[in-house]
Amino acid sequence: MKTIKSMFGKGLVLLLAVLMVLTGCSSDSETESAGLKKPDYKVDKETPAWKLDKRKETTTLTWYVNADWWNADFGNDFVTKQIKKDLNIDVKFITGDDTKLNALFSGGDIPDIISLFDANAPIAKKANTWALPLNELADTYDPYFHKVAVKDTLKWHELKDGKTYGYANFSNTQADYDKGVIPATTAFVIRKDVYEAIGKPEMKTPEQFQSAMTKIKEQYPKLIPFGPSEAFGEVLQDYIGVPLETKDGKFYNRNLDKDYLTWLETFNGVYQKGGISDDSFADDNTAMEEKIKSGKYASMLISGIPQKGGALQSFKTNNPGSEYIAVDGPESTVGNAPTLNQSGITGWMMNYITKKSKDPAKATQLFTYLLSEKGQTLVTYGIEGETYTVNADGKYEYKPEIKEMRTKNPDQYKKEYRFGEFFFFGHDKYNLLSEDSTIEATKQMAQWGKGKLVPHFVLEGTNPDQGTPEARSFSAIDTEWQKTVVSMVRAKSDKQFDKELKSYEKFLDENNWNKITELKTKKMEQNREKLGMK
Amino acid sequence: MGKNNVEIKEKRPLGPRFKRFFKDFKNQWELQSMIIPGLIFMIIFSYIPMYGLLIAFKQYTALDTFSTAPWVGLKNFQIIMTDKFFWEAMVNTVAISLMKLAIGFIAPIILAIMIYELHDGPIKRFMQTISYLPHFLSWIVLGGMLITWFSTTGLLNQTLMAVGLMDNPQNYLLDAGKYWWIATLSDIWKEVGWGTILYLAVMSKIDPTYYEAAKIDGASRLKQIWHITIPSMKYIINLNLILAVSGIFGSNFDQTLVLMNTQNQEKAEVLSTYVYRIGMTQGDFSYATAVGLGMSIVSLILLVGAHKVTKRLNEGQSVL
Repeated sequence: MKTIKSMFGKGLVLLLAVLMVLTGCSSDSETESAGLKKPDYKVDKETPAWKLDKRKETTTLTWYVNADWWNADFGNDFVTKQIKKDLNIDVKFITGDDTKLNALFSGGDIPDIISLFDANAPIAKKANTWALPLNELADTYDPYFHKVAVKDTLKWHELKDGKTYGYANFSNTQADYDKGVIPATTAFVIRKDVYEAIGKPEMKTPEQFQSAMTKIKEQYPKLIPFGPSEAFGEVLQDYIGVPLETKDGKFYNRNLDKDYLTWLETFNGVYQKGGISDDSFADDNTAMEEKIKSGKYASMLISGIPQKGGALQSFKTNNPGSEYIAVDGPESTVGNAPTLNQSGITGWMMNYITKKSKDPAKATQLFTYLLSEKGQTLVTYGIEGETYTVNADGKYEYKPEIKEMRTKNPDQYKKEYRFGEFFFFGHDKYNLLSEDSTIEATKQMAQWGKGKLVPHFVLEGTNPDQGTPEARSFSAIDTEWQKTVVSMVRAKSDKQFDKELKSYEKFLDENNWNKITELKTKKMEQNREKLGMK
Repeated sequence: MGKNNVEIKEKRPLGPRFKRFFKDFKNQWELQSMIIPGLIFMIIFSYIPMYGLLIAFKQYTALDTFSTAPWVGLKNFQIIMTDKFFWEAMVNTVAISLMKLAIGFIAPIILAIMIYELHDGPIKRFMQTISYLPHFLSWIVLGGMLITWFSTTGLLNQTLMAVGLMDNPQNYLLDAGKYWWIATLSDIWKEVGWGTILYLAVMSKIDPTYYEAAKIDGASRLKQIWHITIPSMKYIINLNLILAVSGIFGSNFDQTLVLMNTQNQEKAEVLSTYVYRIGMTQGDFSYATAVGLGMSIVSLILLVGAHKVTKRLNEGQSVL
């Protein structure tokens, strides 16, 4: 047993090596041209090509997904059965991790479609060596793609050669933010019963906040007035609206912002008076959720509210009248407006059609299909009348028997329907078409956040490239900061608070910070160019 | 067969070494050929992968093959020398492992003797079972339990406060100074029962007539343990020591991942979690491999050292 454990620790890197060697260090696929073969059908700007392509024989596509947990089934559930029928294709999924992907590449055995999970990984940055440009694919095989693909998303993922190779799912654009399509997922929340018992005080200035926390501590000695630990870094910075960049558009170290530090000092004061529990800093995710479920925190500054939805709902259901509600919390002391963050334009998964693709026409059709309203609706709700109906408010509702199966027998539901799981090209706006997907307990919180979201696009992907000395320094600095921020909140005195801060500043100087700042500023400029802000 | 060998040895003239080797080999070829599958397995899964260590001297990214990645010589090793987090991890690994070795190596021997001395019956079986139990829980589960026990409202604080040993509860996992002890003792608690199995198996093979003779000679319980039980286990204790020493750098991985937090990281991070962090989560394969290679070299030195020590303790006889 012990040997197995130690082998695991030591052998992680070695294991990687094993697979790489076994699959051989054969050819490289860099020298192939993007010259695309003409399709057998006549393309049309107004009609998706899957309707035009009348080939009789079924095309089999291999699709690599860089995740072990991906459900590799195809053609047996409602969603993929329909895709199979409409497009006359069969998909063979291959799943794996970076090691497997690497093996596929070095073995030259490259699948038709590849889906990655990190748009900033070196492999994605070099997509031009192994993937086909989406624009050219669309022009040749399916011009309808241009109608359904989001221009901003395509532009964002352009590589240095000015072409886009991968399409990202869950990529939110400026328009999505402006139209309020996506809900805020950050809020300061407080238990309703506690809030009322302490007289619904204002908690916007440091003094008000501190006195409210003291009141909670006095009236509810069994509760932890404020938590959990995730509150104190970026979440707080966004909540009080620390600027994203300097006035002249350079990188700004938000951790050293005066306004932010004033609030950190306030939290340190709350800590010193017993308003923040040490346990919050040792708790793992499960322990934190357990505390939310039992309402242990009187108030919280939380992000990722949908992920905590289950815990919040559980507390609400078991304690009617005490549920967490969002109220106005800490406010900037210098008059900044909140800059709440949500998923950005980078998105999540990246989907590519490779140069080795046997049938790039079909692959392009599949991309278009999944991006179109028809495809998006299919993978989320199925087909109107068959699996869902639209109610009077225009909201989508699953048929009752499907709803029942989803709650009572989720495994069977996944097998038979698989809605919301085939999300290669998914976007939040489709999920929001239904009331079913939002959790009751978080609705008021999302409501509170309306209009407070500010895109952080300009900062996305600005970390130094993996494997460079700057990346190493940056990661060290980040580790140091995680430690510093907690130490500052837990400081026993003002003197210790300052000492922790000084030591962080010194660490910055010793670890290449100037160079990282320069690099980030440069990357921000590139971002602005892509976003058309220049 | 054995007799045959002896005869050949006696007749053998003093020739060149390799000639002797081949002759021996030829005489035992049936037996030797049985090793071949194992040998092939080792070559494929242990020796060929060593080729991958080359990336420690290269600037390797996920897209490169071994041949295309550019050489950087000893650069990765130079970075190690100035990396503050590496040295922290190094010190922690050695310290925690040595503590585990010092206490955790002896504990199961003592426990095994104690269990052995119990009369056969329900109590003995009960003691054995409960001492094995924690071994079967993963660190993910145990870590969660420990986080709760060490929290301000947890078991430990409540006990200490109830008996009046302290006034203000504290979270022990945030106290970096206590982490080494927490890691050592919790690991021993988890593994001590399991560690007794091997010793108990060996003890059950000890000839009971030794004890009878000792009793007649008037030896006390302690004397019997000291002069019969422990000497009979000497061989297996030595073997276990060698295995434990060579495993020093590989251990603590999952335990550390669960128990580490921002406040105790400087005392909690060990080499294996460090390699994991830079290799897997930051994609810095070359650097991670360089650290891994360094770890393996030190492990090898320790292994040889332990072998030498036990050889001396064992009157010149090697365990391996």
